[in-house]
Amino acid sequence: MVAITVDRLTKRFGTATVLADINLRIEPGELFFLLGPSGCGKTTLLRHLAGFYTPDAGTIHFDDEDVTHLPAHQRGTGMMFQSYALWPHMTVAENVAFGLEERKCPQPEIAARVAEALAAVKLEGLGERRIQQLSGGQQQRVALARALVIRPKCLFLDEPLSNLDAKLRLDMRTEIRRICKEFGLTGIYVTHDQEEALSMADRLAVMEAGRLVQVGTPLEVYRNPVNRMVAEFIGETNILPGTVIGPGTEAAQFEVDTDTGPLTASCHLAGWRPAPGEPVLVSLRPEALRLTDDGETSSDRFSGCIDNTMYLGATAQYELRLNDRVALKITQMNPTALLEPSGTTVTATVRIDDVVMLPG
Amino acid sequence: MSKTLSRTVFGVMLVFFALFFVLPIWGTLRSAFIDADGHFTLEFVLEVFRNALYREGLVNSFIIAAWTTLGCLLTALPLAIVYVRFDFPGKTLLNSLVLTPLILPPFVGALGIQAMLGQAGALNSLLMGLGLMSREQPMDWLGNGQMAGVVIMNVLHLYPIVYLNAAAALANLDPALEEAASNLGCPPWRRFWRITLPLTMPGIFAGSAIAFIWAFTELGVPLVFDFDRVTSVQIFNAIKDLSNNPFPYALVVVLLFFSTLFYGLSKLAFERSVATGGGRATTGRETVTLSAPRALLCTAAFATLTGLALIPHLGVILLSFAQDWYATIIPDTLTLRHYEEALGHELTLGSIANSLKYASLATLLDVVLGIGVAYVVVRTTLPGRQLLDAMAMLPLAVPGLVMAFGYLALSREGQPLHALMLGEDPLLLLVVAYAMRRLPYVVRSAAAGFQQVNPILEEAAQNLGASPERALWRITLPLVTPNLIAGALLAFSFAMLEVSDSMILAQQAAHFPITKAIYTLASSLGDGPALAAALGVWSMVFLTITMLGAGAVLGKKLGALFRT
Repeated sequence: MVAITVDRLTKRFGTATVLADINLRIEPGELFFLLGPSGCGKTTLLRHLAGFYTPDAGTIHFDDEDVTHLPAHQRGTGMMFQSYALWPHMTVAENVAFGLEERKCPQPEIAARVAEALAAVKLEGLGERRIQQLSGGQQQRVALARALVIRPKCLFLDEPLSNLDAKLRLDMRTEIRRICKEFGLTGIYVTHDQEEALSMADRLAVMEAGRLVQVGTPLEVYRNPVNRMVAEFIGETNILPGTVIGPGTEAAQFEVDTDTGPLTASCHLAGWRPAPGEPVLVSLRPEALRLTDDGETSSDRFSGCIDNTMYLGATAQYELRLNDRVALKITQMNPTALLEPSGTTVTATVRIDDVVMLPG
Repeated sequence: MSKTLSRTVFGVMLVFFALFFVLPIWGTLRSAFIDADGHFTLEFVLEVFRNALYREGLVNSFIIAAWTTLGCLLTALPLAIVYVRFDFPGKTLLNSLVLTPLILPPFVGALGIQAMLGQAGALNSLLMGLGLMSREQPMDWLGNGQMAGVVIMNVLHLYPIVYLNAAAALANLDPALEEAASNLGCPPWRRFWRITLPLTMPGIFAGSAIAFIWAFTELGVPLVFDFDRVTSVQIFNAIKDLSNNPFPYALVVVLLFFSTLFYGLSKLAFERSVATGGGRATTGRETVTLSAPRALLCTAAFATLTGLALIPHLGVILLSFAQDWYATIIPDTLTLRHYEEALGHELTLGSIANSLKYASLATLLDVVLGIGVAYVVVRTTLPGRQLLDAMAMLPLAVPGLVMAFGYLALSREGQPLHALMLGEDPLLLLVVAYAMRRLPYVVRSAAAGFQQVNPILEEAAQNLGASPERALWRITLPLVTPNLIAGALLAFSFAMLEVSDSMILAQQAAHFPITKAIYTLASSLGDGPALAAALGVWSMVFLTITMLGAGAVLGKKLGALFRT
């Protein structure tokens, strides 16, 4: 278990800056996610930690040891590659044994630890198979066993589930998290799949264009995004542009004028108190909006007609057209009856806590 | 393509293959194993191993092949590694220079190398001039028994083939496979032995197998070096009397047996290990930028090796301009006389016309067959299309000498292919022989084209009312034209400079193709070698132009045509 500290890390490829002044501390035993659209630098950052890239500026520490210029093969980290990178000229057991051989472990110990690692990923008895004889899910487990058997200081996972089918992906999420916690590993996991990140991470970082945009727990990042990019990348949302009228009646609440009329919005960002007249954005999650006529009291209400209905079993998704310019996506949980598109006026309400004001 | 048409293609190819591939080999086998009374016998083949002269020939062929392969590996492997891994000045230019040995028929190169490295050659003159060698005891670089000369020439000619295969294998290796080893604590040099080399072995071995079999059966180079104690030359010398002599047949069978064995072994040994991981490669390979002194060292090493391979070219060029060249660094007097004479000489002019005729017809045949075969293999679901593909590729595995001998044997009076001899004119025979040998290149480059053109384009045309044949003609063929041109250019230029078939099948001076004319001139007295060199320079220029043309069309894929 190590803490990983990244300090002012910068990397340029030619003229393009792919990592700009990254500062990050990952706690011992934490499962940390790097999340972002493709090309945001998340894989590049991971490859710096593994030692495949050397930064142009900044340092990387494992606990107190400066590893910035330590070659990859001396870092003692475990890594799972997106393509698994299993060696086709070796058997399953030979693949798993490789790291132990490089560490000059005695033969009997290697045999015992390989068997143990294969058992840990539920591949007992498949050691003599060739890589090509395994299914995608099995190959993925071999890659995990190979990374774990060396008892690494930390485990790096580069989109390890992206080559699996949906069902297997769900199983492996639980499995990988279980193993990381059981082995007490500091884990860093790169993905562009926000569901994977929300469901598995202790904490996560959202990256865009080589910068860290937000670092926090899944709950913090989902509920209190720092800007429009994070709000839209993690989960779905409705964004309404508006201008600040003034502070609301309660603390951290603001009155905002939007295309659909005035709204009361919550400001979750510490230290940000926009002045009247300042342009802002209001973010409304589809599942926070409720199509009710139960008379629930909230000052933020929207009236319009249902434009579009999509039934998905567990949920139903509606498009509520408020006027010519604005339509809201609304998700209804466990729908027992559907509202069909019609000219009838429908009202949606939302709790003020779920009306999130973001910098414009 | 409709079912009928694809079946027709299959049928035509089957007949072509049976008549001009299976039959010649079968005929040779028959003569080697059936005695005068029509009984099966192993006597003739066993005699090849009992006869001291034949045995020596085989052993020499094997030694030449082994040294050639080793030389190619030692030259090509470091170059390929440096090319794939590092950035250095002049990289692109040097990489294309690697291909230059392929533009010089090796036996013409042998003329040049004799002029440069022979006892009275340029190198010795240079060393004597510098006082580094005594004038009384000149060094014999090419070896007394000429074997060293043959090996040097073979290496200089064949190393690009190993290079192309090795570089491709290295470049195609998923970098993550190596990174995984680093991540698990493996230092770079051990990673090379444990991961990189085993995984790129199939490519490296494929290239080596081509070089080995090529050197094992090479006819032109030992002929020019006047080294007749190798099997290929022994076969060549025996063809004057084929009627009642079973031993040339037996020799060919033994040669075929060994080359098929090596080819098969190379396939068997490395077919199973595939250099891919579980998923697709996810990171592109990045080249390492070296510090200036190291980068220049790479450039220097690269330039030296590719430069050495140009010695034969230089020799041929100098020889072609030499008034008289003996024991000097460069010829004393330069002249254009040989070029003028070459253009006036009946043998050379006639041979150029002959070669143009043979090569154009062979290329035409290849293009028609190649389009058909490639299309059926890539685009249809015709049962047995893999067989079709195998038939088109098999000529790569059989040495040219074996095929040429088979054609010669079967076109004699009273043999099945005698009809192909129009009197004394080997036109049809040579066209068929050239076409069969180069068909794999055309099929491969056409297939590459068909794979790139999305079938949806053709379906769109059919949807708008074009018949399958019309859609092929109007949509797909225009789109694959660049590939067809490239394949045809290669087939044409190789046919122009083909050695084995030309040497063996053309018997009358009036029907000589260029290569046989060069050989005849080279072994004649007086100005012969210089005339041969002039003709060799013509062919070099010609091949350069066609290779550049094919390269411009195919780009990086040009190299892929020389891989297995």
